[in-house]
Amino acid sequence: MNIHEFLSAEADCDREGLVDLRSLDCVSHYDSHLMCPICHCAFVQPVRLQCDHVFCGKCLRSAITSFRSTDSDVFPCPSCRTPTYEVLTSVPRLLINMCDDIRVRCPFIPEGCQETLPRGHVQSHVDKYCAYRPVPCPDTSCDQMIRQKDLYPDQKCTHGLQQCPRCEEDVMEQDYEEHDKELCPSLETTCVDCGTTIVRREMKKHVEACPEVVSPCAASKYGCPVKIRRAEIGGHEQLCPLIAMSPYFEAQNTRLDLLELTVRHLQQRNEIFEDGLANIRSTLVDSAPAGMSGASGGNDHQTDNMDESVDRSSSVFSSNATTYLLSLHESLREEVDQLSHAITDLDARASMTILNESLRIKEDMAHTNAAVNSVRMQVQWLMNPRLHHGPRAGVRANTVGGNDTNRSPLAASSAPGPSSTAGPSMGPLRPRRPSDSGREGTKL
Amino acid sequence: MGSQKRIAKELGELVQSPPDGITVELADESNLYDWKVHMEGPEGSPFEKGRFLIKLTLPTGYPFKPPSVSFATKIYHPNVTNDDKGSMCLGMLRPDEWKPSSKISAVLEFARQLLAEPMPDDAVEGRIAEQYKNDRKRYEEIARDWTRKHAT
Repeated sequence: MNIHEFLSAEADCDREGLVDLRSLDCVSHYDSHLMCPICHCAFVQPVRLQCDHVFCGKCLRSAITSFRSTDSDVFPCPSCRTPTYEVLTSVPRLLINMCDDIRVRCPFIPEGCQETLPRGHVQSHVDKYCAYRPVPCPDTSCDQMIRQKDLYPDQKCTHGLQQCPRCEEDVMEQDYEEHDKELCPSLETTCVDCGTTIVRREMKKHVEACPEVVSPCAASKYGCPVKIRRAEIGGHEQLCPLIAMSPYFEAQNTRLDLLELTVRHLQQRNEIFEDGLANIRSTLVDSAPAGMSGASGGNDHQTDNMDESVDRSSSVFSSNATTYLLSLHESLREEVDQLSHAITDLDARASMTILNESLRIKEDMAHTNAAVNSVRMQVQWLMNPRLHHGPRAGVRANTVGGNDTNRSPLAASSAPGPSSTAGPSMGPLRPRRPSDSGREGTKL
Repeated sequence: MGSQKRIAKELGELVQSPPDGITVELADESNLYDWKVHMEGPEGSPFEKGRFLIKLTLPTGYPFKPPSVSFATKIYHPNVTNDDKGSMCLGMLRPDEWKPSSKISAVLEFARQLLAEPMPDDAVEGRIAEQYKNDRKRYEEIARDWTRKHAT
């Protein structure tokens, strides 16, 4: 049988009313080799693969549908993963017999059937023989179920209510017999612990008070392991240190509960806040780059700003859009503020550098001036002898008296000392250093 | 529905006759698919005397889909991710290697075996695997330290 045929054969093995053999309660122990590796129950309608692995037909079907890529002709064996094309429905008779021989309980235990029987017979037992199988009530106006054995011989509805004459309780007709013999609260019963005979309805009260009942110490919830008869528990309770401590434990417990409650509340609030924060953050991330890219200088700046605005808005959190826009506005304003700060800063810095630079240049110029001056002096000095020679020759040649009157006050004021030996006939002279005058004296 | 029956059966078997050093219970009595497993570190391994809480999650498609195993207790091991998930990398749990016939008890026993003998070639924490291969002494020291700190 190829897998397509196998899969389409599904319909006729899943019919209504079939006992689910897997849910049966096994009485006898069976070998683990009789267990389907997929459902871990004894095989139900087993099939075999080429690799000799055996599975329940139904399990293999679900395995194929969940493993096979759509509509392919091959699937891996669920046990050994051998690629498989074919499913063999012929399984050794021995295997089926062993599975059918496992003893199970009738599925209608809750209804009262105590039968145990081989698994292979369960279906026919349920179909034909089980007296406890629920069937619809013969009275068509009644929608309850009735056990098969109650159906015969008179075929009447047993769901009508009947009053018990002793306890005045309403009991359904089908349950009356049981009630009358066992359950009626007016019946007498014996206490298992102290052996006194009491009426059933008093039993509950009696168990709470019975001196023979073994009950735990009152501080058992705080860890006292003692469990003794009620008659003796009074003595224990006077000695038990945990009882003495129990008011304290009680107080601590209530405190703990209270704290836990508070913590839970706070956690909830915290969650709400965090949600809100995350909302704001995501909206900001979405819109901020568009809104800020014109204004902001750098990315770091931007995220800083964003965080700030997120912090701020979280403190006055409300999900409404105006608040969000306001916070955005606020953050933009701050951005602008920062930028203007930066600009003034730059301005100041620029003027400062200009000032510095001009000072330096001024100083430079002063230096240059001084240098130029000194050079001029040198040049003048160098030029001086030549200038002297020229006029002297002219004076000698011409001996212009008018010239003398012009020059003499200058010469008198500027050339005191040895040079004055040159006489008033010397040309116009600039003030000279003493060493110069010495040299000039030798030259002259 | 078939899966629930099988899970209940495996759980019953594991509770009744637990494998060495492993105890199993449901994280939540009403949910068969989340298990809490307490695993004792195997003797002779650096995890000895440690008690590790493992979360075993069964998919609804179990046994056709593999269960997932994660360490709730921090553990220094090349095959367990060192984050808050603590997922364990078991070869047999990979979807393409999982077989429906594998049992949870086998998975748990394999996991315990992996504690005793890590598989550095199949590691999820490359750094720890390196250390396991090259500096076994230091690895055992740290693993023992972590076990003492987190798993006792």
